[in-house]
Amino acid sequence: MEIIDGFFKAITGIFNESGISTLNWQNYVMIAISIVLLYLAIKKQYEPLLLLPIAFGMLLVNLYPAIMNPPSVELLTADQCAAQHVELAGHAKRVIDGVTYYENPTYGGLLYYLYQGVKLGIYPPLIFLGIGCMTDFGPLIANPKSLILGAAAQIGIFVTFTGAIFLGFSEPEAGAIGIIGGADGPTAIYVTTKLAPHLLGSIAIAAYSYMALVPIIQPPIMKALTTKKERMVVMEQLRPVSKLEKIMFPIIVVILIAILLPDAAPLVGMLMLGNLFKESGVVDRIAKAAQNELMNIITIFLGTTVGATASGQNFLSLNTIKIIVLGLIAFSMGTAFGVLFGKLMYKFTGGKVNPLIGSAGVSAVPMAARVSQKVGQQENPGNFLLMHAMGPNVAGVIGSAVAAGVLLNVVGH
Amino acid sequence: MNLSYLANASGIAAEYSLYEKWIASAKVILTGFAVVFAVLLLLIAIIKLYSTIVIKVQDRSIVKKNKKVKVAQPGDTLKKPVVIPVQKNTADEPAVSDGIDDEVVAVIAAAVTAMYGTKGKAKIKSIKKSGGRSAWANAGILDNTRPF
Repeated sequence: MEIIDGFFKAITGIFNESGISTLNWQNYVMIAISIVLLYLAIKKQYEPLLLLPIAFGMLLVNLYPAIMNPPSVELLTADQCAAQHVELAGHAKRVIDGVTYYENPTYGGLLYYLYQGVKLGIYPPLIFLGIGCMTDFGPLIANPKSLILGAAAQIGIFVTFTGAIFLGFSEPEAGAIGIIGGADGPTAIYVTTKLAPHLLGSIAIAAYSYMALVPIIQPPIMKALTTKKERMVVMEQLRPVSKLEKIMFPIIVVILIAILLPDAAPLVGMLMLGNLFKESGVVDRIAKAAQNELMNIITIFLGTTVGATASGQNFLSLNTIKIIVLGLIAFSMGTAFGVLFGKLMYKFTGGKVNPLIGSAGVSAVPMAARVSQKVGQQENPGNFLLMHAMGPNVAGVIGSAVAAGVLLNVVGH
Repeated sequence: MNLSYLANASGIAAEYSLYEKWIASAKVILTGFAVVFAVLLLLIAIIKLYSTIVIKVQDRSIVKKNKKVKVAQPGDTLKKPVVIPVQKNTADEPAVSDGIDDEVVAVIAAAVTAMYGTKGKAKIKSIKKSGGRSAWANAGILDNTRPF
């Protein structure tokens, strides 16, 4: 009889602690959403490197919410301590209503600890280090005017800020939502953790979704704002850039931006350090480690823990829908302003600049540049805009980091 | 830290009047436009400046090198005719040996031409098989793998 009682108690205990009795409907909705995202990452290959860990983090946290629990202290009586084989010595005492309790610290969940790299703003700059190692700023140095297009594409960030304010978000929240328009995942995460950490899940998922949808969102805007004649412009070949110029570039950029806009220094600093690793040619091993092993490890931690912030209770709200709509507006505006400034450059240069390269001013490297190339080739199959579009594309990375610095300075302090 | 940030942190929804919303938006839009464009325009100016300087310095050093070569030749050849042994100009033609096939050389030359074009300054001076690791590379590998 005692055996059967023990068996039933054990089964009841397991059932009570299982997801079947602890999860609510929001968790089940989020599990369904995460499976859809996993499908998009695996089958459709939409930004799989990030969407897959994000979706899986989302799945994990909604199956087992305690995986994101912070460490805490539980209060145990002397009898409970004895039952749980907790030694009394060394535990602080607390007396409540005449009963003595012992403070027994409990550990946090696995993803809580990994999330500290996001919360403390460590992972995004490290991702930028790897990006710097992989980025060739040659096209930008050869044609520095493309920085104007990188700046123009950031206008969407600030215009969306206004939209978010009028939809009832606070200033820091609006700043974090606007940065989606920069189309730069690490920057969006960095700014959001500083300004509105409670919106991190929604903003990161919106940002990465739109980056994955660049080839679908951008072409209609690009075609609507340009004429066939403008799209057919063949640009002159870029001049070759010497190694010395490439080595000087990251040093000059970091000095300038860190002095003028210290809030952007962690992102720009790491980006430029990575680029100096690459261009100097003297630390090949470090450059390879930064762009491969380090970046891959950080991507796993970043993706999984950002996904784990999207628990049902946080994610399923009207605010998430607003963020997704505003993110689309931010992204579209960034593309539109980039193309419009491209048109201005077309006029001022007497038709030497193809306005299609302006859309690459939103970061999303190198996808946005590829879209410029593809749309250009649809009109003129012999036209190769890729290298010309890489200038505004990498300028967009610098531009969005500068815009992030502005937002952190204006609404974050 | 402004008040809205505190409101966020404590979970209280920030509520602004219409006037405050306009002021907040105008402030961010104006500052954002001005700073992003100012910083990037400054960057354009600096890139142009240093690129011009680097290009000029490099062009000057190339001209100097060429001059040295030209000055050294005429005096020697006019006064003292020297019999020059028949020898391939190693600077202009690739030194191909060590069992490297002509096909491999052709492929490398084609790749270089594809990257730099026929009018560029790229020149293949030698093609070597990468052999064993250098002493430094060996020391690095030893250093990294010693704990295992």
